[in-house]
Amino acid sequence: MKLVTAVVKPFKLDEVKVAVKEVGVTGLTVSQVKGSGHTGGHVEVFRGKEYVFDFVDKIQIEIICTDEVVDQLIDAIVNAARTDTVGDGMAWVTDVEHVVRIRTNERGPEAL
Amino acid sequence: MLTAATNIAYPSWLNSGDNTWQLVSATLVGLMSLPGLAVLYGGLVRKKWIVNTMLMTFSAFSLTLIVWMLWGYNMAFGPLSHFGATGSFWSGFIGHFEPLATSSSEQGQAVSGANTLVPFHFPTATLAYFQFVFAAITPILFLGALVGRLKFKAWLLIVPLWITMVYCVNAALLWGGGFFAQKGAVDYSGGYVIHLSAGVAAFVGAWMVGPRRWQDRENAFPSNLMMVAVGAGILWLGWNGFNGGDPFYAGADAAAAVLNTNVATAAGLLTWIFWDMFLSKQKKPTFLGAINGMICGLVAITPSAGWVNGVGAICVGVIASSIVWIAWTYISKLRPFSLVDDALGVVYTHGFAGLTGGLLVGILADPSMVEYGVKGKNFKGPGNIHVAGWFYGHSFHQLWEQCLAAVWIICWTAFGTFIVFTVVKFLVGGLRESDDVLREGDIAIHEEEAFPEPTFGEPMQTPSHVHSDNV
Repeated sequence: MKLVTAVVKPFKLDEVKVAVKEVGVTGLTVSQVKGSGHTGGHVEVFRGKEYVFDFVDKIQIEIICTDEVVDQLIDAIVNAARTDTVGDGMAWVTDVEHVVRIRTNERGPEAL
Repeated sequence: MLTAATNIAYPSWLNSGDNTWQLVSATLVGLMSLPGLAVLYGGLVRKKWIVNTMLMTFSAFSLTLIVWMLWGYNMAFGPLSHFGATGSFWSGFIGHFEPLATSSSEQGQAVSGANTLVPFHFPTATLAYFQFVFAAITPILFLGALVGRLKFKAWLLIVPLWITMVYCVNAALLWGGGFFAQKGAVDYSGGYVIHLSAGVAAFVGAWMVGPRRWQDRENAFPSNLMMVAVGAGILWLGWNGFNGGDPFYAGADAAAAVLNTNVATAAGLLTWIFWDMFLSKQKKPTFLGAINGMICGLVAITPSAGWVNGVGAICVGVIASSIVWIAWTYISKLRPFSLVDDALGVVYTHGFAGLTGGLLVGILADPSMVEYGVKGKNFKGPGNIHVAGWFYGHSFHQLWEQCLAAVWIICWTAFGTFIVFTVVKFLVGGLRESDDVLREGDIAIHEEEAFPEPTFGEPMQTPSHVHSDNV
């Protein structure tokens, strides 16, 4: 089993959600995060003082899936979240040792 | 010596009670715009539009006051220009294009433009400020239809032009002793001049600016319902000045207008909740629905506040709230309403409600409800001063006059708004921001946002390394 984590532009969330569903993966967790990368920040001015906003609003999506669908899932996320501009974000994959579905106490891939 | 000093502060024509109530009323009405509508609209728009919406509200208030001092007041409420023969439409069309510039134009006794009423017991500055806050709230009301795509620069031109071309004319015709006032049409404190007009301008303006991005229309969730509660509460109680100040005497009719206003509003609010609970798709009472019903009650009682009795006021609230609920639910899906993106629904809660209230004067006005004050020599309306609706006078005369005035307000406002928006579109090169800017909202336009939090951390160096005088 794999954990796919993707950090994307906030306005791309709905497209990613639909693309993930089309792959057949049902569960995803979403957090509002801030990040800095190649995008660079922007400046806001309050009462004449400039504030540099180095960290840009992003959405972090976490999905656990079986080893078989992981490549398909990554493709789906990349296609949905790409705008071909700086700051489209990143996705990465890590191994997952064990999964438990709390309601049913199912273990391993059956729990997904 | 004390007597002499007292005489200076209170000339024989000045009544301190009238002056006090008039200034308090004006301030209450001003509070409806700032902060009332600023936070009401700020709470109803997306988080990314809060700053833009609030800034447009505050700017409109300021722009209107400058216009008002320089020419607006005298155009709307000063002596009429008499472009045509006395009694003709053109003689009662508009006042003079001149400023409030002399000491007597502030401290002298207030008189109504066409001598329709005897001079008031407070100075002109009081009347000018009172009438200003009414003028200012009108463009702020129709701003609700335009938020989320209108260019800020365009707004700075729309407000002064619209006040001059549309508001001043409508106010002179109905309130300044102009043609419709002479014919006998009545508008107690602005169901037509303010709310119907704002509703029409909202509709025409939203059509001319074009819809918000479709993504923003799909995701049009409100940013903060507690701020909506704050704004709506200020509107309701501020309306005590709106309708309670319009008799221009702090007397029994002012008290009756305040009570009627509140009972109509309560009825309007409850009526909307009732329809939401039993006829809406979800069958659930909603807070934002209740606020719509509240505004319907407030708007609809405005043209008749001091001319209906308590039962009439309840009827006004129930009828107006029901009509607007039906319009909001069903008519909004029909052409031409479905083709225009009125962002916050101004054409319904102000246009439909204002029209309903204005026509109900012709049905429900009770002639034994007296507005005190002695009529002046040129007053040809239903004088001394009470109005008989169909229920009491058994005549459709008043309803007919109300219809004529409504047709005028709708046509002139639509025409004037179209001209103003066309001119501004030409001057600033388009009325709306680009889609890229619209996706970002406040930050792209103002470099400000409503809830800024640039970092979770703290700066690593004191600024003293940049400026040696910093400590």
